[in-house]
Amino acid sequence: MTSRRRFLRDASLAVMGAAAVERTSLAALPDAATRNDASTARPLAPPNGRPYRPVVTLNGWTLPWRMRNGVKEFHLVAEPVVREIAPGMKANLWGYNGQSPGPTIEVVEGDRVRLYVTNRLPEATSVHWHGQRLPNGMDGVAGLNQRAIAPGRTYVYEFEAKRPGTFMYHPHADEMMQMAMGLMGFWVTHPKDPSFMPVERDYVFLINAYAIDPGSRTPRVNEMTDFNLWTWNSRAFPGIDPLVARQGERVRIRIGNLTMTNHPIHLHGHEFKVTGTDGGWIPPAAQWPEVTTDVAVGQMRAIEFDATEPGDWAFHCHKSHHTMNPMGHDVPTMLGVNQREIATKIARIIPDYMAMGETGASMNGMEMPLPENTLPMMTGTGPHGPIEMGGMFTTLKVRHDLPRDSYRDPGWYRAPRGTVASPWQGSTSALPSTHRQPASAGKTGVKS
Amino acid sequence: MTNTLFPARMSPRQTAAAPPFASPHGQAGRRAPLAIAALAALVLSGCATFSDDGGFAPVAEAAQKRLGQPAVWARDDATAQALAKERDDLLTRPLDLDTAIRLTLLNHRGLQATYAELGIAEASLVQAGRLPNPRFSFQRVQGGGDTGIERTWGIDFVRVLTMPLASRIEARRFAQVQAQVTQAVVEQATQTRRAWIEAVAAQQRVQILEQTTLATQAASELADGMARAGNFSAMRRTQENLVYADTAARLARAREQATSTREQLARQMGLWGQQLSFTLPARLPDLPRKRPAWPGAEAQAIRERADVRAARAALDATTSDLGLTRVTRFVNVLDAAYRNNSETGRPSEHGYEISLEIPLFDWGSTRVAGAEARYRQSVDRLADTAVAARADARTRRAQTLAAWDIAEHYRTTILPMRQRVSDEWLLRYNGMLASVFDLLGDAREQRDAVLGYIDATAGYWLADAAFRESLGGGEPEGVEASATAAPTNPHQHGGGA
Ligand SMILES: [Cu+2]
Repeated sequence: MTSRRRFLRDASLAVMGAAAVERTSLAALPDAATRNDASTARPLAPPNGRPYRPVVTLNGWTLPWRMRNGVKEFHLVAEPVVREIAPGMKANLWGYNGQSPGPTIEVVEGDRVRLYVTNRLPEATSVHWHGQRLPNGMDGVAGLNQRAIAPGRTYVYEFEAKRPGTFMYHPHADEMMQMAMGLMGFWVTHPKDPSFMPVERDYVFLINAYAIDPGSRTPRVNEMTDFNLWTWNSRAFPGIDPLVARQGERVRIRIGNLTMTNHPIHLHGHEFKVTGTDGGWIPPAAQWPEVTTDVAVGQMRAIEFDATEPGDWAFHCHKSHHTMNPMGHDVPTMLGVNQREIATKIARIIPDYMAMGETGASMNGMEMPLPENTLPMMTGTGPHGPIEMGGMFTTLKVRHDLPRDSYRDPGWYRAPRGTVASPWQGSTSALPSTHRQPASAGKTGVKS
Repeated sequence: MTNTLFPARMSPRQTAAAPPFASPHGQAGRRAPLAIAALAALVLSGCATFSDDGGFAPVAEAAQKRLGQPAVWARDDATAQALAKERDDLLTRPLDLDTAIRLTLLNHRGLQATYAELGIAEASLVQAGRLPNPRFSFQRVQGGGDTGIERTWGIDFVRVLTMPLASRIEARRFAQVQAQVTQAVVEQATQTRRAWIEAVAAQQRVQILEQTTLATQAASELADGMARAGNFSAMRRTQENLVYADTAARLARAREQATSTREQLARQMGLWGQQLSFTLPARLPDLPRKRPAWPGAEAQAIRERADVRAARAALDATTSDLGLTRVTRFVNVLDAAYRNNSETGRPSEHGYEISLEIPLFDWGSTRVAGAEARYRQSVDRLADTAVAARADARTRRAQTLAAWDIAEHYRTTILPMRQRVSDEWLLRYNGMLASVFDLLGDAREQRDAVLGYIDATAGYWLADAAFRESLGGGEPEGVEASATAAPTNPHQHGGGA
C-alpha cells in the first residue's frame, strides 16, 4: 500500500475548469490541495492545533488545512474528475480536489472551522455538512439556507465543530445529479480528549454506487435502482485496498452510506460492536455484538473490534449482487440447459460463440475480452484461486508481525500447516454416513 | 402492260443515274435487252446478289461492340449444332453475366427468328435490284375472215424505269431491318441482364435466410431446453419458437422467389430440359470500387440509341427522297447540335409506292412546298426524340449513381457498423452482460442489414442495366472517377439537346 500525496501549490494548475476562477480572488485563500491517485494515503498527523489520532481513508486521503488566527481553514474545490474505479476502468465523476469522494476533513471537537468552497462544476452547487450542529445559514441547503454557489464562485462556510463523531459532506443543490456523479466526502470530528475511546486504527469510507453502462465512462444519473457498480469510496474490488491491522490492535471502521439502498456490512472472523452513529457515540451499555451491521440510506456507523485473529478475513456487503461488478440483469438462467448441439449451430453464424452457464455462472478464472472500460463481473484472485467477487468486497488482514503504524499490504496470509480446508484423503467408508430425506411422492414431473 | 413512257421527276443524282428509255415496241424492241444490261451494270452493280452472311455482319458487329459478345445466326444445321455444343460447354461453368448474355445471343430461338427477318428483307432487296425477265407474247386475232398474228418482245418497263429508286428504297428497308434486329438483340440482352441480376440476388437472399434460419432454429431449440430446465415460461419459450416459425416462412418465400427468377432467366436464355441444371455464381458482382463518372452519356445516347437513329434516318430519307436542294443548310444546323453523331443513312419507311407522273399541269411547285413541310416535320421529330433521349440518359445515369451511393453506403458504412455492433454484443456476452438470445437477436438484425445490402447491390446493377438500355445497349463510356469517392452532382455534365 503506497501513498503518494501531491499537494500542488497552485490549485488552478491541477484542476479543470479553472478559467472561471480568478487567481487574484483566490490569493487570500488556503491552498486547494489536490490528488490524482486512488490509492490509500497515509494518515495525516496533525501538524498544528489540538492533537488527535488521525483516520485512514480507504483509497482516499485527508485534506490539509492552514491555521489562521486560531481558525482551521480548508479549501474544497468541486470539479469534474476522472476516478479509477478499479484497474482497467475509469469513470467520469464529479468530486472535490481531484478525487471522488473528496478528501476527508478531520477536525477536533471545539475547533473553529472555515471552509472555502470553490465551484468549478458546470452548474451551481452547495455543501451540506451532514450531521453537524451549526448555524442554520451554514447548513448548505441551496435556496433554504443560502444562495447556490454559481459556477466559478467561491463561498465560505464557518462554524464550530461542536460534536465529536462521524459525519459526511455532500451537495444539497441538484443533489440527485451531483450525488449520482460522486460529489461527496467524509468528515471526522475527533474528541477533544484523545484518551476517549482510543483505537490503534481508524478506517473510514463512504458507500456509493454508480450506473455506468458497459463500454461507457459516465454514470447514468437518472438511475434509481439498477446500479451496476457497487463501490466503497468509488472503488470496486479488486480496486479496494485491504484494511490491515497488527494482531491485538483495536480497530474502528467508520462507514457512511450515500447510496439509495441499505447495505448489510459483514466482517469475517471477528465480532464487532457498533459504537457510533450519526447521532454520536453509543454508551457501552447500549452496544451489542454483531458480525453484520446494516447501514441504512444516509446513515453513518462506527464499528469497533479487537483484531485478535490472524489471517485474511473477508469484509463485504452481504447483498450478493453488491459483491459483483457489471452484470446483465436480463440474462436468463442457463443452469441445467445442455447447449452443446445448439452451440455448433450458433457458431456457424457467430464464429466466436462459446456456450456458458450450463453448470453455473462461474467463469473458473477464464478471461474473455469485454467491452472497453468494463470490469469483469467476477474478478480478483486469491492465494487459492479466483475469489469471484467484485464490488463491495475487500479483506481485513491481521498479522502479528505488522509494524505499528504501518499500512503496508502484508500480502496473502500464510496459514499454519493443517489449518486450511483440504480434500479428504482417506477412504469413503471412514466418512460419517449421510442421511437423505426420502424423495417426495408428489407429482414433480416437468412437462417439456 | 402500260405504254406510259414519261420518266418521273427525279433529283439530279437520280436523273443522272436513270435516263429515260426509248420505246421497246416494234423494231426497237430487239435492241432493248442490250440497253437494259448496260443500265444494270451501271446502276446495280453489287446490289443484285445475295451476300455471304445474309446481311448479319452489322448485327454481329453491333452485338460485339455493345454487348461484348458475338451473335451468331444459325442458318444451317452445322452452325446450329456448333452453337448447341458451345452452349453446352458454357453451361458446365457457373454462369456469370457475360456468359448468360452470350448464351442468349447464341441460343434464344426468338432472336434466331428475328435474325430470319434479315433473310426476308434481303430477298426483297435482291429482287428489287434484278432486271425483270423479258417476256415474249404471241397474239393471233381472227375476225372478218382476217387473221392477224402479232409477236411482241416485252419487258416490265415501269419496273425497269423505277428500278434504281426501288433498289435504293429496298436497300434502306434492309438497313432498317438490320437496325431492328440489332435493337432486338440489345433488348433481349437487357432482359437477360435483368433476369440474371434478379436470379442471383434471389439466390443470395436464400443463402442468408438459410443461415439465419439456422440461428433462429438454434434459439428455438434452446428455448425448448430452457423451458424443460424450468428457466423459461411457456410465453418466453413460445416467443422464441415463433421467431423461428416466422423466419421459416420468410425462407420459403425467398426460395419461391429464387425459383421463379431462375425460371425467368432460363427463359431469357432460351434454355430448357437438361440445360436447366445450370449453376449461378454465389454472389452478385462487386460494385465498381470508385464512384463512376459518365460525362459522355448524353452524347453516347444520341449516337447509339435506336430511336434517335431511326429519327435521323427518317430525316435523311426525307431529305434524299424528296430531292430537296436546300437541305444541306438545315442538316448542318442539326450536325452542330449532334456533333457526336455523323452517321446517317437509316431509313424509316414501312413500305413505298413509286409513281411516275407527267409534269403537264403542275411543274412541281406544290410538291416542293409539301416536301419542305415534311422535311421540317422530320427535323422537329428528330430534335424531339433527341431531347427525350438525352433526358432519359441523364435520368438513368442519376438513378444509377444514386443506387451506387446507396449500395456503397451499405458496404462501407452500414455493414461495418452492423459488424461492430455484433462484436460488441459478443463482448457483452463474454462478460455475462448479455445472453445468447441477445446474440441471436442481433444475428437476425445483421441478416436484415445484409439483405438490405443485397437489395442495394441488385438495385445498382438493375439501374446499370436500365442505364445501358437508355444508351442504346452498350456499356456506359466513362472516365475513371477521381480517387475520392465523393459524390458529385450527377447533372453537372447535362446539357440541352
Ligand atoms: Cu450492499
